[in-house]
Amino acid sequence: MNGVLKRVWLVTRREWNQRARTRAFQISTMISIGIVVILIMAPEIYGAGDGNRRTIGLVGASSARLSQVLEASGDQLGVSVETRGFADEPAGRVALRSGDVSVLLVDQARLVWKTDPDKQLQGIVVSAVGALERQRGIEDLGLSSEEAQRLLRAPELRSTSLERGTEEQTAREDLGRIGVVLLFMAIAFYCGFVLVGVVEEKSSRVVEVLLSRVRPTELFAGKILGIGLVGLAQFALVVLSALVALSVADNTLAPDTTPSTLGWIVFWFVLGYAFYAVLYAAAGSLVSRQEETQSLQLPMTGVLFVAYILAFVATESPDGVAALLGSFLPPTAPMVMIVRIAHGAVPWWQIVLSVGLMVGTIYIIVQVAGRIYAGGVLRFGGRVRLKEAWRGAES
Amino acid sequence: MLEIRDVTKRFGDVVALDGTNFSVAPGRIVGFLGPNGAGKTTTMRAIFGLVRLDRGEVRWRGKRVGPEERARFGYMPEERGLYPKMKVGEQLTYFAELSGMSEESATEAVAGWLERLHLGDRADARLEELSHGNQQRVQLAAAIVHDPELAVLDEPFSGLDPLGVESLAELLKQIAAMGVAVVFSSHQLDLVEDVCEDVVIIDHGRVVMAGVVEELKAASPHRSLEVTVNGQPWVPILPSGTVTKQGGRLRVLIDATADVEKILAAAHQAGEVTSFAFEPPSLTDLFLEAVSEGRVA
Repeated sequence: MNGVLKRVWLVTRREWNQRARTRAFQISTMISIGIVVILIMAPEIYGAGDGNRRTIGLVGASSARLSQVLEASGDQLGVSVETRGFADEPAGRVALRSGDVSVLLVDQARLVWKTDPDKQLQGIVVSAVGALERQRGIEDLGLSSEEAQRLLRAPELRSTSLERGTEEQTAREDLGRIGVVLLFMAIAFYCGFVLVGVVEEKSSRVVEVLLSRVRPTELFAGKILGIGLVGLAQFALVVLSALVALSVADNTLAPDTTPSTLGWIVFWFVLGYAFYAVLYAAAGSLVSRQEETQSLQLPMTGVLFVAYILAFVATESPDGVAALLGSFLPPTAPMVMIVRIAHGAVPWWQIVLSVGLMVGTIYIIVQVAGRIYAGGVLRFGGRVRLKEAWRGAES
Repeated sequence: MLEIRDVTKRFGDVVALDGTNFSVAPGRIVGFLGPNGAGKTTTMRAIFGLVRLDRGEVRWRGKRVGPEERARFGYMPEERGLYPKMKVGEQLTYFAELSGMSEESATEAVAGWLERLHLGDRADARLEELSHGNQQRVQLAAAIVHDPELAVLDEPFSGLDPLGVESLAELLKQIAAMGVAVVFSSHQLDLVEDVCEDVVIIDHGRVVMAGVVEELKAASPHRSLEVTVNGQPWVPILPSGTVTKQGGRLRVLIDATADVEKILAAAHQAGEVTSFAFEPPSLTDLFLEAVSEGRVA
């Protein structure tokens, strides 16, 4: 391996090892995964018992066939139906009152409800009983099984909608909001690590031991890459578990576009992190003690926060001017783009332009910030001025 | 051979190094001495490219020092710096690898050095769990773990107890015996007198004295005289000389050409001579001499 690459790799590996192996990292990853999975699975978990599961009490004339048809009939409407037999009607009524069953079907002829009839359930029972009666009629006619099936086959009707329903739209907006919060937290968190890491090396003076062995730019690159990889790994793990949860959960409020939106969130995390981490690293090189980082952090965290706010503005009007501009400006692009992508289709050229601007800007600030870092990181005692750091790195 | 040539560095109005020149040969231990603020640390940092020089250059084996050369140097900065929360063994391996060693040879070298520094059982401890003295040893190990050809140690003795000083001195001698050029700075002169063969004394960014300690002592225009008569310190009456008091002892720095016989005779007249020492000046004397001369000039 080439010397420069090897040293960058060594620095990257150290960052990875020192951070990814800590219990704090493992615990925070587990918690994040837990929160995301619960968010996705919640409807599934809480939905059990009401909404999508019904028990039908059967009294009098019934058959195993009836139970099957009722279940099949429920499936068609996305309701899981169970049946329970009762010896007589009074016993069934007791169960109905206590809520153990949703409805009582007596002698395949009468429905008994606790209060108002549930139209959906009523439809299920009616269509099931009707189907059974038709079947019996067909059998009486002595038709062949093929003929019988032709008569009994339910027509398949394809559905299309002219506009997205409000439910889907709200779900997409929620997804965008969650994405922005995730992105904001991850960028602030990991860029904070970069800042603290740089200042830590400077304040503990280990930087002198390091820089007698590696070039400042190598240390700079390795640090940002290492922490970035840790962040990416954690972020990707969370997103991956979200995808797994989505595929497992049948009933979820998450819109169909969730997997692709999650992919975009990871993508924009990489760019957003790169942009801010480079700035945070340069800023860290200007101070000598951890206490001095507060004031220094303010401008960048301020910008990050503005991006966060703008992303929420964009949620309200994803096609507005603010959203459009915000999705092209590198400091705000990651979060605003997530909102717009979650909301609906963004023209491909806008994504390409935004990514291009972002990458170009990152390239430029890497040059500038790398030089400030090189000039600042070896100056001790108080705050280094930007100009001083810039000149200090002249070779 | 390390050559410091005409090295000059200003920090604003302050001249830290003012045309500093000296050299260090392989296998030699050079004591780099000077009062606080003389420019010792700046010189050492300049060797590692940690300060940008206004003028002059640092050469190693006739070549201007660059990253390639520095990979074969080891540095122990004055302000100790290691990762407090990183395990000792991992940390040293990391530094060795950064200096270009392969993972296997780095691991091997670290194990060897930890054993040698009596830290073999602390490889898996975090640095912050170690005592001050042991942390200092790890810091030293970080400087020499990659078998450098040149070891530059800034104040390696500071903060060590006498036993620590003793074992570090022994270690430096061993390293030098392996052919490593060793430069260390100090302002505790009495402490280092036994360690270094060569000395470079710097003041206000200029070298005011440099050479082999014994030769410098012999070449000094002064001699140290310490006499006790009847068990009491005794000082002869002389036309010139500086008297220094150390505890209950009196020492006079006199002209090297002084007539020793005459002084001894005078002491005999004063009473029973219990001890009589006439010897070359100590390193401290040389230092004070060099520094004060430099300041007058």
